[in-house]
Amino acid sequence: MTVVDEVGGAAAVAPPTISAKGLSHAFTDAQTGRTVHALDDVDLEISAGEFVTVVGPSGCGKTTLLNILAGFIKPSVGEAYVNGRLIEKPGSDRGVVFQELAILPWRNVRRNISHGLEIQKVPKAEMSERVASIIELVGLTGFEHHHPHQLSGGMRQRVAVARTWVSDPEIILMDEPFAAVDAMTRLTLQEELGALTVRTGKTVFFITHSVEEAVFLGDRVIAMSARPGKIIDEVNVPVDRSERTWELMAHNEPLQETVEHVLNLVRGEAAGSREADI
Amino acid sequence: MSDPPNSTVLSAVEASRQQASSHRGRALLASVFRALFPFTVLLGVWWGAWAIFDPPEIILVSPPTVFSAFIDAIQDGTLPTYISRSVGRLALGTLIAAAIGIPLGWLLGIDDDISSAFDPLLRFFNAVSGIAWLPAMIIWFGFTERTILVIIVYTMVFPITFNAMTGVRTIPRRYRDACRTLGAGRLRIVKEVYMPGSFPGVMTGLRLGIGFGWRALIAGEFVVGTAAGGGIGFFIFDARTQGSIRKVMAGMIVLGVLWLLADRLIFKPIEEHVNERWGAVSE
Amino acid sequence: MTELTFELPKTPASRRVKRFVVPLLPFAFLIAIWASIVALTDPAIGVLPSPMRVLEAPFDDSSTYFDNIEASLKRLVMGFTVAAVSGVVVGIAAGLSRRVAEFLGPLSTFMSAISGIAWIPLAVAWFGVGTGMVVFIIWNAAFFLIFANTMLGVRLVPKVYGNGLLTLGCSRLQVIRHAVVPGAMPYIMSGLRSGLGFGWRAVIAAELVGASSGLGFWIFEQQEFSRMDKIIAGALTIGVIGMAMDRWLLAPLERRTIERWGLVGTSS
Repeated sequence: MTVVDEVGGAAAVAPPTISAKGLSHAFTDAQTGRTVHALDDVDLEISAGEFVTVVGPSGCGKTTLLNILAGFIKPSVGEAYVNGRLIEKPGSDRGVVFQELAILPWRNVRRNISHGLEIQKVPKAEMSERVASIIELVGLTGFEHHHPHQLSGGMRQRVAVARTWVSDPEIILMDEPFAAVDAMTRLTLQEELGALTVRTGKTVFFITHSVEEAVFLGDRVIAMSARPGKIIDEVNVPVDRSERTWELMAHNEPLQETVEHVLNLVRGEAAGSREADI
Repeated sequence: MSDPPNSTVLSAVEASRQQASSHRGRALLASVFRALFPFTVLLGVWWGAWAIFDPPEIILVSPPTVFSAFIDAIQDGTLPTYISRSVGRLALGTLIAAAIGIPLGWLLGIDDDISSAFDPLLRFFNAVSGIAWLPAMIIWFGFTERTILVIIVYTMVFPITFNAMTGVRTIPRRYRDACRTLGAGRLRIVKEVYMPGSFPGVMTGLRLGIGFGWRALIAGEFVVGTAAGGGIGFFIFDARTQGSIRKVMAGMIVLGVLWLLADRLIFKPIEEHVNERWGAVSE
Repeated sequence: MTELTFELPKTPASRRVKRFVVPLLPFAFLIAIWASIVALTDPAIGVLPSPMRVLEAPFDDSSTYFDNIEASLKRLVMGFTVAAVSGVVVGIAAGLSRRVAEFLGPLSTFMSAISGIAWIPLAVAWFGVGTGMVVFIIWNAAFFLIFANTMLGVRLVPKVYGNGLLTLGCSRLQVIRHAVVPGAMPYIMSGLRSGLGFGWRAVIAAELVGASSGLGFWIFEQQEFSRMDKIIAGALTIGVIGMAMDRWLLAPLERRTIERWGLVGTSS
């Protein structure tokens, strides 16, 4: 557990932003009627300012884990807490960026981004200021009055990220937000996200099935096993986030080794799950 | 100091602008012709058939005959009155049915269990067309305006409610979930997600409902007759009683044209506008 | 799979019970309200009979009742079959050519707007009163809908399907059979389903106004004798038959074709 203080004085032990113990979850698939055991005894702790990525094979339960943290589902066993408060339903303290388009098609870029602030009843002047600055930060200047369907996939996700960021939640949960975006744009978005989080110091929980993406973005990578999802191991990523670029990734040995390491962790489990299916 | 714009350049710009607008004018004319072409062909086929087979007057009459009957009915004032009465009834019925059906559809659509529960009920009453209730309504309300109105509203309420409900149900869950993570409460989600998101469904329901309602209106006017004041339905029915096939056909054509106008001038533009601004709402 | 060490929330059995019982609740509720109104206000039988009375009413003279239903259904089958075959065939032919589709589209909208009932005077002049006229009205009501849907479905089939088959050496006819028709199936099914609904309603409307037999005629007759119980019974019969046809005829058909193929299905 990292120790965080903002004043720079004596270190104080703050409760971790996210804390969950013994999370297990299973459900009955509506279509097949079979029981799906999604998570098995998962412990998780995330400190303020940390960027934690979770990577694992398809169906390993990482989305279930995110949904539990978001408050969309109640775990069969165990509880999760955000800053000491029990997570029971969604709230503005946990922002979520979804994989597919979740910004409202009938609102333009500006109004989508300001939506959270609207709900929080932030005064107009402050609202336009914050919205304007985040629009600039994510590079959407000039598109304020466009509607989502007029934008490319990459830009839509920028709007989604901006919307979540500007509402200033305590933690941001991201569910493979770049999976539906083309490869080239994805690289750009990843670098931009990295820069954005460094600059704003946000706490982020990011799931993906790309090991490279997980290592590139995270302070710490959590590798999960195939269904039922267990945490295989957690790996700290070298090289400060503020220095990471894709160019660096290609040459930096410690980073490359981390990727190898995580890949082996995950691959071993993926192979294991394939055998189990046969 | 800069030179004033060259007059040659100016006139060239003007010329190209004029050309563009005449192109636009020609394009508009062309599209009108294209739209009318199928009907001209239909007209031709009709006229040709009449000329070749020379059927008796109670079976088929020629287009010019129908047209003159149409002109007569306009000149003596009956058709315009009837048309405005029918359209007025439909408009009133639509207002009432929409006021009931749209909010009801929203309410039912919010909860999946509730909408599945009411789905069969809505389908059932939709299957019992308004026309089938005509005899019952005549017993209750007599041969009156109210009977016609009740039948229309009944006929329209179910497709409107059903489609508004479906419109809410097919909104991807993500939109609602996303708003919850922004801190939105139930009421706000209804107002900012369900209501706008269901718009395509509501429009479909209105379009279907008005189509059904139009038919029920005609049937109602057929049956209820002059007692309520004539409408297009009565016009056609009356023409049949008089044995005037030309008037019958004139009335039928008026029906078709009115619907086409409504479709082109009202429904399509609204749908296109929504699609243009919002794209497809549900995937 | 690892053993679950904890309880799961709901068992599937209770969900299945839920699916059967819950849809019946609104009906039960409605009947209950109806019965209470009758019990409380005690209206005349000619104005509002009790649910019980309505249930018994058809059987006061059951042979007429069932004969009339039979007559209506026969006409529906005839009219709908012709409409389905002609609608699908012409729809496919029209859909294959963009120009034909553009030509027939507005015509089809126009024709379907002239309500089935409005055709009755003309239809009576052409076919006289009776079965022929009703069958024509049914065809008129269902054909344009089936045609329009089929045509749309054909036009929306992704060209790649056909192109893929052509590269395998298929003839145009085979492309139609193996790519176009199955590809257009969702729309064809939707058209057939709506068409049947329209056709059924058209039977009743036509008989109400211009026939001397059939369920619609039977209902209309009752109005002169103020037999509200039979009128309601007739109306409810219409609904039951309409729903039965949709649920047990077309929905299974839809399931066995387009849902099996993974295309969108709306059989609820």
